[in-house]
Amino acid sequence: MIKIWSMKKNEDQASKKKPKTSAAQIRVQKDLTELDLPSTMKTNFPDPADLLNFTLTITPDEGMYKGGAFVFQFNINSNYPHEPPKVKCTQTIYHPNVDLEGNVCLNILREDWKPVLNLNSVMVGLQYLFLEPNADDPLNKEAAEELKRNREQFLYNVKTTMRGGALKGTQYAKVTA
Amino acid sequence: MAAAVAINGNASSGDWEGRYYHVDQILDRPGPRTDPSFLAGDEVKDFLRNKCKILVIGAGGLGCEILANLALSGFKDIHVIDMDTIDISNLNRQFLFRQKDVGHSKANVAAEFIMNRVPGVKVTPYFGKIQDKDEDYYLQFNLVICGLDSVEARRWINATLVNMVDPENPESLKPLIDGGTEGFKGQARVILPTVTSCYECSLDMLNKPTAFPICTIANTPRLPEHCIEWASVLEWPRVHGDKKMDTDNPEHIQWLYQIALHRAQEFKIEGVTYSLTQGVVKNIIPAIASTNAIIAASCCNEAFKIATSSAAYLNNYFMLIGTDGVYSYTFEHEKRDDCPVCGGESLDITLSKDWTVERLIEILVERQDIQVKKPSLSSPGKQIYFQAPPQLEEATRPNLEKKVSELVADGGEITVTATTLPFNLSLRVKYT
Amino acid sequence: MTTADSQDIEQATATLAYFTAILSDHTRMLTRISQERIWAASGQAALESARILVVSSSATSTSILKNLVLPGIGHFSILDSAITTPADAGNNFFLNARESIGKPRAQEAVPLLRELNESVQGEAVLKDVKDLLGTEQGKDWLTGFSIVIAHNLDKPTLEELSALLWSNPEGPPLVTVRSAGFLAEFHIQYHEHCVSESHSENAPSLRITRPFPALLEWARSLDLNALDPTEHGHIPFVVILVRQVDEWRKSHGGELPKTLAEKKEFKKGILALKVKADEENFDEAEAQAWRVWSEPAIPSDIQALFSLSALQSASAQPRQGTFHALLHTLVEFTKDPAGSGTLPLSSNLPDMKSDTESYVRLQNLYRQWADVEKSKFKELFEAKHPEAAASVDPEEVDSFVKNSHHLRVLRGKRWGTFDADREALGNALASTPREAATHLALTALTNLLAQDTDASKVTDEALKGEVISLVGPGVELPEELDAAIGEIARAPTADIPNMAAFLGGLVAQEAIKMITEQYVPLNGYCVVDLVDSWTGVVG
Repeated sequence: MIKIWSMKKNEDQASKKKPKTSAAQIRVQKDLTELDLPSTMKTNFPDPADLLNFTLTITPDEGMYKGGAFVFQFNINSNYPHEPPKVKCTQTIYHPNVDLEGNVCLNILREDWKPVLNLNSVMVGLQYLFLEPNADDPLNKEAAEELKRNREQFLYNVKTTMRGGALKGTQYAKVTA
Repeated sequence: MAAAVAINGNASSGDWEGRYYHVDQILDRPGPRTDPSFLAGDEVKDFLRNKCKILVIGAGGLGCEILANLALSGFKDIHVIDMDTIDISNLNRQFLFRQKDVGHSKANVAAEFIMNRVPGVKVTPYFGKIQDKDEDYYLQFNLVICGLDSVEARRWINATLVNMVDPENPESLKPLIDGGTEGFKGQARVILPTVTSCYECSLDMLNKPTAFPICTIANTPRLPEHCIEWASVLEWPRVHGDKKMDTDNPEHIQWLYQIALHRAQEFKIEGVTYSLTQGVVKNIIPAIASTNAIIAASCCNEAFKIATSSAAYLNNYFMLIGTDGVYSYTFEHEKRDDCPVCGGESLDITLSKDWTVERLIEILVERQDIQVKKPSLSSPGKQIYFQAPPQLEEATRPNLEKKVSELVADGGEITVTATTLPFNLSLRVKYT
Repeated sequence: MTTADSQDIEQATATLAYFTAILSDHTRMLTRISQERIWAASGQAALESARILVVSSSATSTSILKNLVLPGIGHFSILDSAITTPADAGNNFFLNARESIGKPRAQEAVPLLRELNESVQGEAVLKDVKDLLGTEQGKDWLTGFSIVIAHNLDKPTLEELSALLWSNPEGPPLVTVRSAGFLAEFHIQYHEHCVSESHSENAPSLRITRPFPALLEWARSLDLNALDPTEHGHIPFVVILVRQVDEWRKSHGGELPKTLAEKKEFKKGILALKVKADEENFDEAEAQAWRVWSEPAIPSDIQALFSLSALQSASAQPRQGTFHALLHTLVEFTKDPAGSGTLPLSSNLPDMKSDTESYVRLQNLYRQWADVEKSKFKELFEAKHPEAAASVDPEEVDSFVKNSHHLRVLRGKRWGTFDADREALGNALASTPREAATHLALTALTNLLAQDTDASKVTDEALKGEVISLVGPGVELPEELDAAIGEIARAPTADIPNMAAFLGGLVAQEAIKMITEQYVPLNGYCVVDLVDSWTGVVG
């Protein structure tokens, strides 16, 4: 065998043993402990020992969705940050960029994800959707059409559905406190 | 299969005269670029053929080729791990498998084939996951060769081998040779854990898997790929709930294909085909036999040179692009200081057994050489103290009062992260 | 085959495969699906009708064959009169180890290769190539293949074989492979190789500055102020650029932006059209603005082929003859005063920010105009080359037109030409010392073994002497030469398994490119050094 060890001796820094924690784990620790969230966002860990699965609750204090509490499930796999976290809305809500299955249309969760982004960027991005719903690239097309056509009606629909009302045959989740 | 490790019946274990005529020309004398430590002749042959133990991870397209090359080169104690079974679509390149083998373990069938074809070689298969095995298992090998198509599995074995390096034990450093192919392109590289750039160091060189905006998929599909993603990303979970999609299951692909085709027709989009559906959901460019052969040969050649010292080995990356002529590029990929696996700072720290976590944090903050502010601490699998988020800060706050020695054993490790650190700092704790 | 046809067939076969899992065709179909994504059904069909001759059944030869049998060539012949030696049994995976010792090597190898793919036919011909070269019948047989591959053939025989295959421009290409230990090289001998489907990753022109009527009409009819914000944010960037070019020309005497300042101004003009900051389609238009000033009517690579075809349009090879007739038609097409002076429009539209309706509309416009130009091209072809047009496979014309931005014509050399050209050798030693030195060391080995088959006489000194006689006196020899010569002297007759496998992949890959006439094959010698793990091209 080639004598690799002798080369190693010259590398003082590398000769120190590394921790057994996985790269994904360390990265999640770094992301979470450096979260800088406004009072409108709160994380919840059902199992505090499990950093990879948790929820984020967004309670917008302005905009059309003010008064609601929107819960997103975060699932991070061991390929993080090569792959983005998987994020879904746990409630059925009326929003142009969230479909009835809870899928979210946020560019940094898919096509624009880069390993330099972190959990904080995702959370801030999610909150932005409630302040500025985007009708031009919708996921819930009906909601988007309504927002473009008749803002008043859209706002009315938002308020109705946030209280747990039904709209066009769909039962929405009550998200008001 | 367990019995198959014995030498097969049709040949004795002994070599025949002249068997290694070709390889021995290399092993009997050095070349102009051979390291002076090369022990030409019997000593190196004895090591290669009687002592060296090599692990092959993956018995697929690359793995089959790797096993055959190693066996012919004179490696006689080969282990192979693969968790997959043989699929009919593997037969055009995974050349140790036949139609009758479909459904059987790749590792088992490949091992048996090699032992039948190349007498005197022992191939020990393991039908399962690399994660099933612990450090003791990996420590038994001299070398590891990887022929995988999964980023995740590669990251795992890379991190495992880097972490295994023990400064007190030279035997703990296992060279890792990694190969990968996509169509006419491929790469082979040599990783000397903690010495050279590791797999994680080069993660940003990977092609990002193509992902389309979910709103495009949902509302403004333009390409056949958008229709296929609609079927797999949105319709599959909606219709099938938690049932997992298996991209190797033709029934699943057929379902996705039909749904995507229907959607494409609705939007007047052309080009949805069965094979495109398969390609998009698998998100891989198909492998072909010839590229696999080149890359596997390159990996085995590096293994042979490292095991025998008969020639210089690859430093450290070989990239091949065969679409326009034969183009290849050999270069040294640089180790990254902020690599989360092999980079980062590492520090030995000596504490009194009575010192609390709070005291340790104060010590860290005061140290001039590391410049850390508001550090968060954990030991493998366990949080010690987290600065945020509030729920976790609260949950870990009681630890501040505890003695470090209650939480971390002597010689144990603590991972420190902080906004002021580029990645992380690892502490090795000793108590006085 | 048109795209629609092939899709129908593919859908039908996919469905068939799904429901009839027991048919043996099923296996073939499924295993091909993935490689057809690399070289399409046409490439697969070409492979399946290929007949391949491999001279010798060394470890390298059977490795090459393995990688041709697996993807499914039609037929192979191994020409080899050798009897399996203990050394063969030790390094060749396609022999039955010691059981094969003493038996004809090719005969032992054929069944083990054939079992890799039941649809491939193969035969062992237990004769010496020298004997075949000595008879007319033998020569006819040797020239009747799609491609001929020879590994470590002795120099006099190789010279004869290469002369035979070179003498007939319609004869098969010859791949010569030479290896010794950690060093190797191979060369493909062909007169000319023409490729329509080069699978270039460069995008064809979108004709932004030379828009066809329907595209210009759309761009001009656009009333940006009347669009609602969603529509405005989904206008395809192509339409935006065509419109902006049109406007620019009106105010600049018909000229395009030329100076850096003008280009900046043009880009600014695009961004000024945004009604909302996040309109990605306008960002795309700005990012693609280079197309306005950097897209020639005819790419220079293709322009270069135009003069080439004028020189040698009378190629004797029928396939190449058709290609040259098509190339000549292309020249005529670009000169047509009624045309736009460009290559035929490609219907291949990249994805862009847009809504389905606009994108499909744009795609249809491109497709329709591409069809118009293709018809015009075909009319010209029939008028200028009636015989070729009458006999050509319509698919070949379609493929040629579709790929007209990426055509390639390679002019090859006879094996050995490079070694007879001292000036070329000297230049190569100066510009690519590592590649040239390795090639010369291997040529020196071939020459020495031709003088005396006793490998023990292959010494550093003998090799160096041979190299000096090749390059001539007074040529400065690089230090790389000693490194190469030393490796050759170390293992002059070693066909080591890893090199055999490496060459097996490389040579098969180039053979596949030659046979399918897709992708771009090697031109010259490909040199391999597995000590420092590099490959290079020389000669």
